Amino acid sequence: MRIISGIVFTIGMMLLALPATAQERSALKKGFELSANSGKRILVFRPSVSVGAQSTGGMFEPNGDWTERASKNIQVSLERLQSRLGNTVIVAPEAYGEEAQRLQEHMSLFAAVSQAVIEYQFFVGNRLPTKKRDNKNDVFDWSLGAGVASLPGAQDADYALFIYNRDAYGSTGRKILQVLALLGPGIAVKSGEHAGYAGLVDLKTGDLLWLNADGAMGGDVREEEGSEKRVRQLLEDFPGSAIKQEQ
Amino acid sequence: MTLCGASRLLASAVLALSGVPASAQKAAVLSPYAGVYQPQGIDEVGMWREDDESERALAASPLVIRDEKLTGYIRDVLCATVGLDRCGSVRVYVIREPVFNATMSPNGTMRIFSGLLLRVRSEAELGAVLGHEFGHFERRHSLAKFKAGRSGSDLLAWSGLLTSMVRNYTVLRAYRDLRWSVYGSLFRYGRDQEREADLLGVSYLNQSSLPPQAATAVWQNLMGELAASATARGVRKPNFNAVAFTASHPPQGERADYLAALAAPEAASRNDGTARYREALAAWLPLLLDDQIKLNDFGASDYLIQNLASDGWTADLWFARAELYRARGNQRDFVNAIQFYANAIAMRDGLPAAHRGLGLALIKSGRQVDGQAALQRYLQLSPDASDAKMIRLMIPGGSMQ
Repeated sequence: MRIISGIVFTIGMMLLALPATAQERSALKKGFELSANSGKRILVFRPSVSVGAQSTGGMFEPNGDWTERASKNIQVSLERLQSRLGNTVIVAPEAYGEEAQRLQEHMSLFAAVSQAVIEYQFFVGNRLPTKKRDNKNDVFDWSLGAGVASLPGAQDADYALFIYNRDAYGSTGRKILQVLALLGPGIAVKSGEHAGYAGLVDLKTGDLLWLNADGAMGGDVREEEGSEKRVRQLLEDFPGSAIKQEQ
Repeated sequence: MTLCGASRLLASAVLALSGVPASAQKAAVLSPYAGVYQPQGIDEVGMWREDDESERALAASPLVIRDEKLTGYIRDVLCATVGLDRCGSVRVYVIREPVFNATMSPNGTMRIFSGLLLRVRSEAELGAVLGHEFGHFERRHSLAKFKAGRSGSDLLAWSGLLTSMVRNYTVLRAYRDLRWSVYGSLFRYGRDQEREADLLGVSYLNQSSLPPQAATAVWQNLMGELAASATARGVRKPNFNAVAFTASHPPQGERADYLAALAAPEAASRNDGTARYREALAAWLPLLLDDQIKLNDFGASDYLIQNLASDGWTADLWFARAELYRARGNQRDFVNAIQFYANAIAMRDGLPAAHRGLGLALIKSGRQVDGQAALQRYLQLSPDASDAKMIRLMIPGGSMQ
């Protein structure tokens, strides 16, 4: 089924000639403030990183080597940037048995909640009625529930940071297609996909404190320098952050 | 580009895609296991990494039935089917989902859906399905399908571009035809893979200690279930020999035929492990039946229950049948349900849910007093039931307290 949706997607890209939309939004829970150098401990759960190429027809071609490299690079950049914010990054301990199951449920829950935020609060014109009102009144109110306090490593930290990254680099064929389509019939074919989001969760209450989502990110995560840029983008609106101004 | 050139290009592309080898109608004699379980090349390494991530999530998923005994048993059946040298590369996960399915992914993750366990009736039948799935793994079908899909979508991307350059109706029509033939050939490619896995599945069984005739029995049984389901819904019986354009698998009738032909005839007398299978599943049967009944497919569920009861009814089976009838809930169904609950209780009294169902069915058919007595008995047997307060309201003198 994935193949077919890939094909349908390709056709969609070819015929509709969608312009590349860069959807970037971040939001902060009202009343939440984190002053610089507040010395908070931030627990980072295994970031979801997937790196590959985009075939000529638009299919995602996962690449194990790139993904491994990107995971390592992102981890290094994360620790460096957070220490500059005055925070300590704690890598979540490996979980076993029931703890692992609870963690897995919360990872899925975070993915679902952040997708809901992106879909219903960040995208204008696609909002649930309740969130429409929330947006008007500048309310950002989402939570994973108090269960997060029981996650492995939670007792040693103040906040949890979840990170998601998916990169598809346009293959040579895709790039050639892109150029020819533009030169010939003037169709805009998108080459590559670089999506990422990062979220901060209060480990006492489970409230989502901050979320940053970007459908078109910069920085080549396969290189150390590029991943630094990527993580900088992911964290640019991080509460108490001075990262943005440095760019 | 000339018009003729463009359509020739499209035609040759179609030919290139359709070069899928037809599966030979002969059960293979298996070569020694080649140790295919290390990924090679960018695509395969990439797929395995994604797969490893998804298995990591699966291992901690609440969907998985965590019963070491059950999982170990299924693994033993797999090993008995494909051999000890092969089965070492597989991790078995039983997923609580009441449909007839099992999957195998590139890195050796085998997912068994709980609905499969309710439908196969012996170790040999289970082995037939497990062997089929292992065949996909041994022949690296996911990888081949990924590559076929990529070639197909690449071709469509290029031909779509060329078509849009020519802007001629004939070429556009050729492109549309090409699109359908690419889709069609991808689906057919998938069906050919299924046939190949079927052949391998029978080959494993032929060389094992289990009777390979079980493979055809699985599909005969499934056709029986589908027919029963259609009858109960009052729709036409499905055609078991027609191939739909988007079908992912060959039609059941065809599978049953060639699987029967490929089974080694002299192996028919082997022990198919029905008794062992029944014993291993006994503890899980009530849950599996309960999940099945909730699918709201009366014909299929009744077929399955009667099939399981072919060697004698048990309290669990009578209870499941009673629940099925009560769930459909026509007035005439309650008469049957009451009888079935009574049969279950006669065989085993300590079955609280049977008294509950009996009570509710009796009240529904107007026998208030008998019904309340049955509900009393339910509350006696299971005073802390989650619905105890609600049930108490239906009994005279009962209250929320």
